[in-house]
Amino acid sequence: MRAEALKGHLDGLILATLANRPAHGYAIAQTLRERSDGAFDLPEGTLYPALHRLERAGLISSEWSTEAGRRRRTYSLTRSGGRALGERRHEWKLFATAVEAVLA
Amino acid sequence: MSWLGEFEDELATRGIRPAVRERLVTEFADHIACEQGAATAVALTRLGVAREIAGQYADELAADGARHGAFAAFAALGCAAAALVVSQLTLGQFVGYPGFDHGFSAALALPAILAMLVGPQVALVGGTLAAWRAIRRRREPVLPAAEIALLRRRVRVGLLAGIVTTAGLLLYTVDFIGVLPAWWLALSGALAAGAMAALVAARRALANSSATVVFASGRAGDLFDDVPALRRLRGHPLALCVSAAVASGVVVTLAEWHAERSLAEGLQRGIFEAVVLSVGFAVLGRTIGARR
Repeated sequence: MRAEALKGHLDGLILATLANRPAHGYAIAQTLRERSDGAFDLPEGTLYPALHRLERAGLISSEWSTEAGRRRRTYSLTRSGGRALGERRHEWKLFATAVEAVLA
Repeated sequence: MSWLGEFEDELATRGIRPAVRERLVTEFADHIACEQGAATAVALTRLGVAREIAGQYADELAADGARHGAFAAFAALGCAAAALVVSQLTLGQFVGYPGFDHGFSAALALPAILAMLVGPQVALVGGTLAAWRAIRRRREPVLPAAEIALLRRRVRVGLLAGIVTTAGLLLYTVDFIGVLPAWWLALSGALAAGAMAALVAARRALANSSATVVFASGRAGDLFDDVPALRRLRGHPLALCVSAAVASGVVVTLAEWHAERSLAEGLQRGIFEAVVLSVGFAVLGRTIGARR
């Protein structure tokens, strides 16, 4: 799937990957690829601007940890991020249902 | 040059602060290190082009910074407005306005009064237009460079006018030391100093966010996008200026006529208001996107 097609949905997808547990950038990229069965193969570098944007918006928070001697930034969903994810899921269901009704 | 080196250079070129650069580079270094051995080349390919990612980051950061700058400026201008209103209400209510020539020097009083009359109007227009545009474009992660420049200009005009207003209030307070009661001088001085601190902080935040270089293309909006009711006047700056000057002049004339119980006084102030607005439009109209 082209990165362009993902653009409008990237924030929601990131929030969804963080819904169950905190994760760092690489793990988020892997989760996206695995859960989409390789369909979401966007340039992984574009994840970080999105992560920082979501953090500035207060939807996720982050903290440093050390892993195998390397500094690592781990992101987790905030309460307002959880609410935003719920809204996006709801919007997506309405959208997908409507598109399905037209295309089917 | 390594991918990380190129990325860091691009971030620096785009004016991203060193602390933010370091955080991003550290995150990307960890990302690359997660792919071990031969897979590193694959990881670098999957990361994308360093320049594009740095550019995307800078464009998003600048859009966010411009919007926050507009909101911070509006809040700081609110502090300045509160300081001016409280000082003038308490002066009128409990003390009584002294004549402008009853202070230390009319050379201090006149510029102070002028600043307190003109400054708030410019601040209101600049600050409100900036905040309104920031609200209207709040959902867009990236804004065109021209749009961000317009937001920054409006904020700059609003803050400068707010600083002039607050400096006028401070000057007025100083001019009437020994004439007006100590409690009023202390109250007004403290309020003005607090407002000035807020304005200077907002100005500094604007300067920091303005360091980010934006390349996103697209046109800037203008006053007519912000206020659709005025769209018919787009391309007719003289008509817009005259309409606004007449409208504000009439409002001020009626208000002052009622307040001072004198039509002559009302007309005098109404004409002054219309002239100030026309001069303001001529000088700042293009800067704040009120005319092309």
